[in-house]
Amino acid sequence: MNGFNFHRAYSIARKEVMHILRDPFTLTLALGLPVMLVTFFGYAIDYEVRNIRLAVSDRDNGPAARRLKEVFSSSGYFRLVEPGPAGPVEMLDSGRAAAAVFIEPDFSKKIKGGGQAQAQFVLDGSDNSKAAAITGYLPGIQRAAQAKLAAQTIKEPFSAETRFLYNPELNSRWFIVPGLAAIIIGLLAILLTALNVAREWENGSMELLLSTPVRPLEIITGKLAPYGALVLAGVFFVYLVSRLVFGVPFEGSHLLYLAACLLFVTAALSQGLLISVITRQQQVAMQFSMITGLLPSMLLSGFIFPVESMPAFFQYLTMLLPPRWFMAAARGITLKGADLAELAVPFLALGLLSAGMLALAIKKFKTDLE
Amino acid sequence: MNAAPAVEVKDLSIKFGDFTAVDKVSFSVNRGEIFGFLGANGAGKTTTIRMLTGLLLPSSGSALVGGLGFGDGGRGIKKIVGYMSQKFTLYNDLTVGENLDFAAGLRKLDPAYAKKRRKELFELIAFNKPLSSKVAALPGGIKQELALAAAMLHDPEIVFLDEPTSGVAPASRARFWALIRRITGLGKTVIVTTHYMDEAEQCGRIALMRTGRLIALGSPEELKASAFPGPMAEIDFNGAGSAAFIAGLEKAPGLLELSPHGMRWHAAFAAKAAMDAALAGLPPAASAALIKPSLEDVFIRLVEGAER
Repeated sequence: MNGFNFHRAYSIARKEVMHILRDPFTLTLALGLPVMLVTFFGYAIDYEVRNIRLAVSDRDNGPAARRLKEVFSSSGYFRLVEPGPAGPVEMLDSGRAAAAVFIEPDFSKKIKGGGQAQAQFVLDGSDNSKAAAITGYLPGIQRAAQAKLAAQTIKEPFSAETRFLYNPELNSRWFIVPGLAAIIIGLLAILLTALNVAREWENGSMELLLSTPVRPLEIITGKLAPYGALVLAGVFFVYLVSRLVFGVPFEGSHLLYLAACLLFVTAALSQGLLISVITRQQQVAMQFSMITGLLPSMLLSGFIFPVESMPAFFQYLTMLLPPRWFMAAARGITLKGADLAELAVPFLALGLLSAGMLALAIKKFKTDLE
Repeated sequence: MNAAPAVEVKDLSIKFGDFTAVDKVSFSVNRGEIFGFLGANGAGKTTTIRMLTGLLLPSSGSALVGGLGFGDGGRGIKKIVGYMSQKFTLYNDLTVGENLDFAAGLRKLDPAYAKKRRKELFELIAFNKPLSSKVAALPGGIKQELALAAAMLHDPEIVFLDEPTSGVAPASRARFWALIRRITGLGKTVIVTTHYMDEAEQCGRIALMRTGRLIALGSPEELKASAFPGPMAEIDFNGAGSAAFIAGLEKAPGLLELSPHGMRWHAAFAAKAAMDAALAGLPPAASAALIKPSLEDVFIRLVEGAER
């Protein structure tokens, strides 16, 4: 029984709620961050590259060349620009075009004669993500052009067809928005807890708490529960927006998703507590939280950059980070409808990491009081 | 009334690593007494109080606070004493009522009982503002009194106050000390640390601490008598050159203590004959008067003198 008293933990939790309600910074952060993230990642960031400025050097001016240009412009990805006197390469140099296509003088004639006509495609490789996206469009363009230009359909020995499961339109919002929960938990839960408990050390009120018969575990429970609830509210907000505004599907079990959130929230709150016990100052706690909370969630969780394409060292490092496993679980549940058996590894890892983090935080908190 | 002392301390020591913060301190505090700890910063006053409130466990020695020891890690002591820490008083962003409710919740007080206590304590500290007042808006002295009320909500027999009036205006300090006397008037024991001499004068007994040791213990009068068995003179040079005379006085036989107090000097001697001999050569413009030593003189002699 260990003497844990719910009443005392509740008193602390109630006090925390009053602190939260009266602290403009906490409230703004807790409510503002989810709104900001959703707006930013939902609207501003689009991984599909559109309106690519394509400089065309048409030395053929024949009917086939015209049709080829039509294919480019009707794809929706490209906007054709006249190279002007300087020429397409100059356009690339000056950044006025991201790609150029050179159509050889006898293009139409060769096609009409059933020969092999050439068109050269030149890309600005300095922005590699853009270039990669553009290269991705080319096979489709080529197929469309061939169908349009060839007199009869070319018989291919086999045709490779790609079908995307789970996110058939490769809508980047579907991919990104479910991952926002990781950022919200990873940043908010850590930061708010660390700041709050550090403040209690800083102004000396921890001493007052400890001079009463309250137990460390009651302090921890009372302090963490309200912030956990606050952060889960933020996650719920993102869930609503992603379903209602962006139409992101939710294929899996809501209960499983909640379980993943709770595990990750526990890990994050514990991390925040640990930071506050170590730093004991709000300023330092803030910096620690940003570095150990935001950065892993943003960069090392697979939120934007796939874990698989990281250097080996970072791949192993991410295994120690709860956000990576939460990200895998969250995306698996929302987009693929994966069940617990399929997500055994992320859940196991998340469970172990959050239990470990909690145990470490409690131990450090207790020993520091003595 | 129970005759057992409120607090009984024997050879209490605490070490932090190699540093001995409190070194074999022994004393006992009677019920209903105002017991003061006087000493410079770092003398071990706060550390002693933190042990006696169950916040720190001693490295060696024993203490009985309200009859309880440290066998349970200090939990029993925490239940029966009241403690007001030096740094923190109340949460500024909460109201008076919320702060007191929180204090009551931490001690699991029955709401009806807490309400009754709140009323009694408001009367005691003459608090007449609404419960919904934000603490941040209250003057420092009132805040301090409310903090004391919060520490006494569970009606403890022994109340520990760690520099309760630091940073409070002089008028509010006097008010606070009147409050302390009212509390001991109710039969409670108050143990208080201070570095204000005028506050120490108001204690029943004072424990003088220096570098972790208890160097003197007694009522203000007893401390003065033991530190200065002979007479003390206050010398006013009235603008006359004093350097030469002081230099000579420092070597005078029978001189116990010589210290500057603003424009004047206090000189204590072992006996009246020694004083008369030493002051015989006083410059004509200067005057000397026999005075009673103050606690500040005691402090200078016992604490600072030992460091010279």
